[in-house]
Amino acid sequence: MIVVLGLWELAARMGWVDPLFVPAPSAIVPALMRISGGALAGLADTLGKTAVAYVLSVVLGVSAGIAVGSVRLLREVLSPYVIALYGIPKILVLPWIVLLLGYGTTPAVFYGVLHGFFPIMVLVMGAVRDVDRTLVTVARSLGATTWQLYWKVLLPAIVPSVLGGMRLGVVFCLLGVLVVEMFAGVRGMGYVLGSYANGFQAPELFAATALVSVASITIVLALDHLNEKLSRWRG
Amino acid sequence: MTVVGLRLALLALLLAIWEIAGRLVNPLLGVPPSAVVPALRDLLRLQSYPDLPASILLTLREIGAAYALSVAAGLACGFMLGMHRLAGRAWGPMLAALYAVPAVVWYPSLMLFFGLDAASKIAFGFLLGFFPIALAVLAGIRQVSPQLVVVARAYGAGTVTVFRRVMLPAMLFTLVGGLRTGLALCVIGVVVGEILGSKAGMGALINHAYGLLRTADYVALVLVTLVMVVGSDVLASLLERRARRWTD
Repeated sequence: MIVVLGLWELAARMGWVDPLFVPAPSAIVPALMRISGGALAGLADTLGKTAVAYVLSVVLGVSAGIAVGSVRLLREVLSPYVIALYGIPKILVLPWIVLLLGYGTTPAVFYGVLHGFFPIMVLVMGAVRDVDRTLVTVARSLGATTWQLYWKVLLPAIVPSVLGGMRLGVVFCLLGVLVVEMFAGVRGMGYVLGSYANGFQAPELFAATALVSVASITIVLALDHLNEKLSRWRG
Repeated sequence: MTVVGLRLALLALLLAIWEIAGRLVNPLLGVPPSAVVPALRDLLRLQSYPDLPASILLTLREIGAAYALSVAAGLACGFMLGMHRLAGRAWGPMLAALYAVPAVVWYPSLMLFFGLDAASKIAFGFLLGFFPIALAVLAGIRQVSPQLVVVARAYGAGTVTVFRRVMLPAMLFTLVGGLRTGLALCVIGVVVGEILGSKAGMGALINHAYGLLRTADYVALVLVTLVMVVGSDVLASLLERRARRWTD
């Protein structure tokens, strides 16, 4: 990694690449200081939208996954639609979402949910389908009520998939929010990145990109850590 | 049978709701299916957008170039990291960390670097397609049983034979899955890149229709793009099935 950074610095210093497009690492650090005020506000804005979208995605995705996954007819009828909606590039409906919801926070949250909801739902749906039938039968024959069946048998069995979906979902939500901000943003990190690119402010752009990347990696690592702790607690 | 019937009924219900809702709202925003059909007809007759074939061709060429680059670089990088323990140990986590960043943050830099033309879309498609392929190669190599390799070597198999007869069949399943995911992500990357900023291609047409509030044309263009996207995935899944039959 140090070698790569060194080569990069050398390439920029020796004029092999145009510093207008590829700034030297040493130019990015002061840029990071320069932009920190505006960029941190943008980052906070973006992360706030992502948090709302993420909570909505998890709640809706897990409950839809359990509901559709546990009723066989519903699952068989709906699963091709769910898979298709999961697979298609959602960017195609983005212009229409912006037409309907305007600029600002609402389309960003909506689009973030659109990205985060389906992977979580698909994972949970599959997990509910694959719950050991014997467990369900035994619980039933021992007189478990439907409520107990969901709470005591189904929920513990799908926890790993829910956690997996939660880890996957957060990156998708952030992606969705950033795309909207780039496409039709007035605030937030996506807008900041887009305007630096349009203004040919390469050091600032690289610094802002690094900032978002670090934030995203930190969130995913934190979720991983939480995941590990939870699975240890589950035994 | 009933399941298929119910699926179709649901589709019909959704279309009916769309039709009713589309007629109720502002025609600039809502487009009922009955308005999409004539728009689609005009589009396919090249009346509304005469440069449709050129745009489709450009987008397909961008996808092709991005995918070729992803496959070449993904295979090379995956095998390099997979074969050399130390390199894999040192760089594998970095690959995984980069995977945790939503790829779209790189797009403004790519646009600055490669300009508004096809190159930035190819670069972004490559960026998205590269990772699943490289990671699939890494995972595939890990699946190859070392004993098989040792036995094959003990019987005098050369490197090429070991690779073709032992490693490739063992890792093909994972590898082909990664190649398919890579194609899907390449397509998404190119389309996202075009919509976020371009001068030609399907994304530029979509943005044009959206910007002029020609919503019916916009929906028709989206449908055409969807056919391209779904078509590429169907093609990939057919190839995937062939490759899997070959291993059995």
